[in-house]
Amino acid sequence: MFDVARSQEDVWIPTTCGLCYSVCALKVHRVNGTVVKIEGNPDSTTNRGRLCPRGVSGIMTLYNPDRVDVPLKRTNPAKGLDVDPGWVEISWEEALDAVAARLKKIRQEDPRKLLLTGTVTTQDEVPFAKIFAMAFGTPNGWNSGAGNHCGTAEHLYGALLHASWSKQPDPDHCRYLLNFGTASGFGSYYCVTGMAQRIAEARVRGMKHVCIDPFLSPSAEKADEWIPIVPGTDGAFAMAVLNVLLHELDIYDGDYLKHHTNAPYLIGDDGVYVRDAENHQPLIWDPLLGAAKPFDSPGISDFALEGEFSVDGLRARPAFALLKEHLKPFTPEWAETITSVPAATIRRVATEFGQEARIGSTIVLDGKTLPYRPVAVTYFKGAQGHKNALLSCMALELLTEIVGASNVPGGLLGMNSCSLGHPDSDQPKWIPHAGRDGLMVTGYWPNPPPPYPPKEVKKPETIDLRAMVPTCPGSSGALPVVMADPERFKVPYKIEMNFHVGANHVMTFADPNAIAAAFKDVFQVSFALFLDESTYFSDIVLPAASYLERLSHTADWMSSNSPVGEWCYHVRQPVVETIAERRSVCEVLLDLAERLEMREEFYALINVMLDLKEPHRIDPSHRFSWEEIVDRRYKSLFGEGRGLKWFKEHGLLKWPKKVEEVYWKPFSHARVPIYFEWFKTLGEQVEAMAQKTGIDLDTSAFQPLPEWRPCRSHRENSDGFDLYAIYYKFPMQTFSGTYDNPWLDEVCNIERFAYGVAINAETSRRKGIEEGDWMEITSVSTGNTVRGRAAVTEGIHPEVIAIAGCGGHWSKYLSVASQEGKGLCFEWLMPVGLDNVDIPSLTQDLCVKVKVAKAGAAS
Amino acid sequence: MRYGMVIDLKKCIGCTGCALVCKVENATPPGIVWLRVIKHETGKYPQVRRVSIPLQCMHCAEPPCMEVCPTGATSKRADGIVDIDAEKCVGCRYCMVACPYDQRFFLAKERHYFKNGPTPFEQIGYQRHQEGVVSKCNFCAPRLEKGLEPACAANCMTKARTFGDLEDPNSEASRLIRDRGGYQLYPELGTNPSVYYLPA
Repeated sequence: MFDVARSQEDVWIPTTCGLCYSVCALKVHRVNGTVVKIEGNPDSTTNRGRLCPRGVSGIMTLYNPDRVDVPLKRTNPAKGLDVDPGWVEISWEEALDAVAARLKKIRQEDPRKLLLTGTVTTQDEVPFAKIFAMAFGTPNGWNSGAGNHCGTAEHLYGALLHASWSKQPDPDHCRYLLNFGTASGFGSYYCVTGMAQRIAEARVRGMKHVCIDPFLSPSAEKADEWIPIVPGTDGAFAMAVLNVLLHELDIYDGDYLKHHTNAPYLIGDDGVYVRDAENHQPLIWDPLLGAAKPFDSPGISDFALEGEFSVDGLRARPAFALLKEHLKPFTPEWAETITSVPAATIRRVATEFGQEARIGSTIVLDGKTLPYRPVAVTYFKGAQGHKNALLSCMALELLTEIVGASNVPGGLLGMNSCSLGHPDSDQPKWIPHAGRDGLMVTGYWPNPPPPYPPKEVKKPETIDLRAMVPTCPGSSGALPVVMADPERFKVPYKIEMNFHVGANHVMTFADPNAIAAAFKDVFQVSFALFLDESTYFSDIVLPAASYLERLSHTADWMSSNSPVGEWCYHVRQPVVETIAERRSVCEVLLDLAERLEMREEFYALINVMLDLKEPHRIDPSHRFSWEEIVDRRYKSLFGEGRGLKWFKEHGLLKWPKKVEEVYWKPFSHARVPIYFEWFKTLGEQVEAMAQKTGIDLDTSAFQPLPEWRPCRSHRENSDGFDLYAIYYKFPMQTFSGTYDNPWLDEVCNIERFAYGVAINAETSRRKGIEEGDWMEITSVSTGNTVRGRAAVTEGIHPEVIAIAGCGGHWSKYLSVASQEGKGLCFEWLMPVGLDNVDIPSLTQDLCVKVKVAKAGAAS
Repeated sequence: MRYGMVIDLKKCIGCTGCALVCKVENATPPGIVWLRVIKHETGKYPQVRRVSIPLQCMHCAEPPCMEVCPTGATSKRADGIVDIDAEKCVGCRYCMVACPYDQRFFLAKERHYFKNGPTPFEQIGYQRHQEGVVSKCNFCAPRLEKGLEPACAANCMTKARTFGDLEDPNSEASRLIRDRGGYQLYPELGTNPSVYYLPA
């Protein structure tokens, strides 16, 4: 504790953390101008006064001498992973002149030649840069770290089934958490600190946690039962659980399926909805009337879920019946051969899960009687980051839907699917609603438009295939493939410039050699905290202000608030004067818009995207400062009296969540699909477009019902490549971006799994590897080799090695992170290519087979 | 009055937030780690448990470190905190050998985290540490004087830590030890630590 008795200054400043996407509330202690402590703000309900190790460590991000302090220009025209750019310092004026000149030229020629890359950890700068890019006229963006760390298919289902970007188990009421390897509540994922606290409380009150994970990971360590599984086979496990529920136990929530899903919609033998001849709505079968009726017609007495009916002389079956029939072959015995999990274990888990769902039971909350389904299924990158992403995730999602545990007490909750607004202003407001065919449309979506209703399949005019494959809701795993060879994909331009806002895409997606090849001829401008590996490819580097040095238009977003409890909106404000010549990205973007004479387009989109309301909309007839825009954003949300000044002083605004916001599903008329009919029809359109444009694309995964399909690694039997390598998140680092923090380094040095490679004890014995030995890990897919120290454990599947986080930096400008033995960069092992991408979700497959040997030993 | 810390291993997720916040609160230089988290694994695949165990000075009722201190630098306060008076410490490090929990640290020479000099935080913070003496966790005694909990307890993101008076049977700490079967490390040594653990 700092002695402040003789200090001239001793202040605590409320702000928010920016070291991951969770946006925890901070109180920062500043004494005589120096930050001496960062604490969680106890007034905030997001993190309830607590912080993870990264949040506590921010002082070393602020004062790290490796930080970029002045604008830099490269002098070495050659670019490469190990080629020193030869930085020279330049003025901001010179830097912005050069950037503006290049942007102007591109905008005149074809604005789509501009790419925006960014990190998901800055929930203020990158979203604002996206508005800039839209105003500029480019559709091309890439959250590069997200390639490996994010959940593209998972987010798609978040939209379709939960009206939200992400999901959490109901920490207040869940009694059985079936967790496919995600770290939600265990130090990663969204609302990290708040959920860690709430899930810990759930553990103490007796929630059972079953964790299915190849590695006894930080979350599996906390489980009541750890079930090791072969990587990439979680979908097969889920299929077998569905099989047991429907074919052995007859457990499903019929009432939920009839009224909240498309389970009763009739499907013809062609696989699509049977529609009413007049109003074209999908039909259901009313068994009491003995007739087909449009799903939303009045007077329906009941909805058939099973059976076979004749509509206009053609066979029609309820979607649920098709799902059930489809699942018949996928028994636990079938799944055992794929997952390595004993059939008896799968059967027992299915039984526990089905019984604990307590179908039919209710709970009274705030005077309202609601379904009580205290089971939840969680998964993220580990289970979904595979070639079979779309269809595996479908199986995982259907577990929740079949038992009716979606957005009801005890079940799986969308992270803030429904917001009715602050009592004084009714803002922010978003409510899921019924759209085409009665299916749910999100009330809010961070990357508009939302995935449903399906977007038009267009020619491949974006650099990431997303125009042609509109089912991808986030960052596309195809981007580096298309960028390296746009002609092959009939993209009528090349990326000439990358506007790079705080991501390390060279080492956080897949094979750095392939990423380097795609980016080496691109003029790159980086807003950077550090001269990391990606800045080796930059032409100009601009010194960015860190989250402790900048102002933001509330960094809170859909998935940063806790799913239960209270709403909480915060301010992010500078806690010190900006150091050296560092500047806020948002301020620089406003400057650049002036230089490019694009104020009108930029302001128009700022008004729309920040949802500025009269009289707070910004008028392009005069220039607005960043402070003014932030002020107007707060006033638009919370009224004239709660502008920036109010937020700077109070730090946050909170109010209780209503039952109908948290457990919104019983109150909603919107149905969700359990039969993904439109995947099939959209897939046909994608196939047609691919053929028309002459692109070779495997569209076979656009299916309405779940499947498990092997990844490339599951079929890989090359001599000696006998282990799967996986990567996982852990609480001490965020992606690759925090590895230069010496305090985090110190705790990682103590924890042998943080920088080491987990390997099964029996496997290591067989290979003559002992604890602490250096190992060489070679990928069958890339041929690349990485080195790491063995962390021998019983707690890992014998066919798997596990690597934490994204270390193994090599930039010579990172004095802490680039030392030997500071973790491994898993990405060297993963190939770039469409063979490794799930086409419908454009998810990168992180399943990879490797050869492992003691370093120096003969192979 | 006997201050103690109860650490609920069922709640703890091994995130090392306590280790980090200790670092910042006490501005300990590189290599001085008053609080660290280790992992303990038992069983054979696939029946395996791995538990995270935060370790710090146990503030023993019978501290072996105090017995061996030749200058009286280590003492036990009336509130149970085992304290080191840096002015009296001569850096002989007998206490480090005596401590069965390996929770004492010797600062031979002040270093900084970055090779190009101390950060502004370190310039101020390291004034509190002396070279050539032994240091360790003191339950954040300066915070206690201000009515605050130790930093590790105040920050723990799973609220796994409960700080309180072990001699008061009605304190939350005492209640947890009683109700949840709290235990000490190496009880057979007779040190009677003031840090208790609740089973995972």
